[in-house]
Amino acid sequence: MLRTLFLRVIPVMLGVTALGFTLLVKFGPDRALELAGRNPTAQEVAVIREQLHDGRPWIIQYGHYLSDLLTLDLGRSDSTGEPITRLLARTIPNSIALVLPGFILGHLLALFLAGIAASHRNHWPDRLIASSAVLAMSVSFVVVMMTAQIAFASRYGLSWFPARGWSTASISQWLSFVAVPTFTIVFVSTGYNVRFYRAVLVEEMSREHVKTCQMLGYSRWRTMLVAVIPNALLPISTRVMYSIPSLVVGGSLLLESYFGIPGAGKVTFDAITNGDQPVLKAVLGLSSLLMVLVMVGTDRLYRRVDPRLTLE
Amino acid sequence: MISAANHSADPWVGSARQRRRMTSLLTYGAIAGLAGFTLLALSHWIGLWGDRATLTNAQSHLPASLHHWLGTNAIGQDIAARAAAGAATAFKTGMLVALLTSTIGGALGMLAGYFPGRWPDLLVSWLIAVIDAIPFYLLVGALAYAAQGAPGTVVAALTLAFWTSTARYIRAETLKIRETGYVVSARTQGVPLAIILYRHVAPNIRHLLLIQATIIFIAAVKSEVVLSFLGLGDGQSVSWGRMIAESSQDILAGHFANFVVASGSLVVLVAALNVLTDVLSDHFDPRYWRS
Repeated sequence: MLRTLFLRVIPVMLGVTALGFTLLVKFGPDRALELAGRNPTAQEVAVIREQLHDGRPWIIQYGHYLSDLLTLDLGRSDSTGEPITRLLARTIPNSIALVLPGFILGHLLALFLAGIAASHRNHWPDRLIASSAVLAMSVSFVVVMMTAQIAFASRYGLSWFPARGWSTASISQWLSFVAVPTFTIVFVSTGYNVRFYRAVLVEEMSREHVKTCQMLGYSRWRTMLVAVIPNALLPISTRVMYSIPSLVVGGSLLLESYFGIPGAGKVTFDAITNGDQPVLKAVLGLSSLLMVLVMVGTDRLYRRVDPRLTLE
Repeated sequence: MISAANHSADPWVGSARQRRRMTSLLTYGAIAGLAGFTLLALSHWIGLWGDRATLTNAQSHLPASLHHWLGTNAIGQDIAARAAAGAATAFKTGMLVALLTSTIGGALGMLAGYFPGRWPDLLVSWLIAVIDAIPFYLLVGALAYAAQGAPGTVVAALTLAFWTSTARYIRAETLKIRETGYVVSARTQGVPLAIILYRHVAPNIRHLLLIQATIIFIAAVKSEVVLSFLGLGDGQSVSWGRMIAESSQDILAGHFANFVVASGSLVVLVAALNVLTDVLSDHFDPRYWRS
């Protein structure tokens, strides 16, 4: 436990925070000028700079940033003045509510299609699924998002759902707002996931015990569920776990800024366009921490589940 | 998409000739698509369209005509000329990012793989872990924030984000190659490191670099569109992403030309590249595409 912490978590987090801090603070726009308002005098700027402690050496400023992150004392947003901890606590649940249905449906659908493809290897269902996957991979996220909006939520299409916005007041309202984003997530991720899962399943199906199942007369689905999927769980769950952190921040950034959903992705996007340095620093530090913890956590989970891995 | 030579022992598969014909048909289609886009980008670079991509003196939302092949957008710019300019931007971005990531990722990956567990490896592996720990949009967003719209920001950001995957593959492959007989004997004979890497390691990873470069080309083209769509792209150049972003207003008013042209071009280009990548990886390394 301590070994992983010192050899993996801490060096990577030091690197991430140092890189992010240097980019945002050293190369970013002058925060004192941004905060000073219109036509500031040189004196006003100097006063604000003094308040921000901008004159201190890099290493001291960086040390303060680290200790702020560790104590979750993230400061306030430059543009709204809201404490960042509260801002994130308010918006992260929305992001999760937005991406979770698409995340689960997307992986299940991909696994299902990959199962069909792998068990009909090189016959027409496989060919059809493989070429559809390539086609789906070729369509950009923004194109899917806008086409889905036209098709399902505009007067030029079916007009089933609201075109944009967000509410979690009731389940039915949440479902109506989450439908088009969910379709987008499923469409965009399934192509890549199908290819990956198909390759994993094809490899697992070439093993001896699968042949035994086939000789015993097990049906395709029984073979799949009894002999193939359990052995393929390792690569499958790695992929699922690793897609969590980027989904919470990255995947929701586009959807939230386009559909006007008040989630963590929108907060991040607004911070980038408004130049809200404290928010960016906080989001960068926290999401990278989540990523590293997921990686280390997945690794440790495997060693628990499969003791052979510790031997390597 | 499965090449004949590698699976000829598989009894489930149709005749080898059938599959070869299928593969070559797709390949020709992909090559034709790519050639079309190269010509489109070239037509922009040699100035066939003049300044019609940015000129705003035509009427807005004109239908397709002989003068404006695909009509005009909301402020009277020629959509066909903008599609060509967008193709040029996409090619430039994809090409530059693919070249830069191959150079950086290839060199660092080779160095790390040749000295496993020693300081070059530790340093490069640490850098890879750091970059990969930052969610993509945040990394690019932070860089866009820092660069404040300087030209080349998109290329720099995408290179910073994408070189790690090349480096990881090249490192893994070099690890294997350094244990092969010819490298071991070169090492024991005292052949200088630079010559071992250049003459014995590099030729054996060239195919991986090529495949990786096409994959990154695709990722760069797609990301450039998303960044331009979000307004984080290069403010000066015309991009399909900007066209799509502009069209989000047009669509509400029932004008679809801008959206259909920009997204259609993007889909065709990326599909052609995807097919080409599959063909390349089947040809060089049939096991590769699972990742």
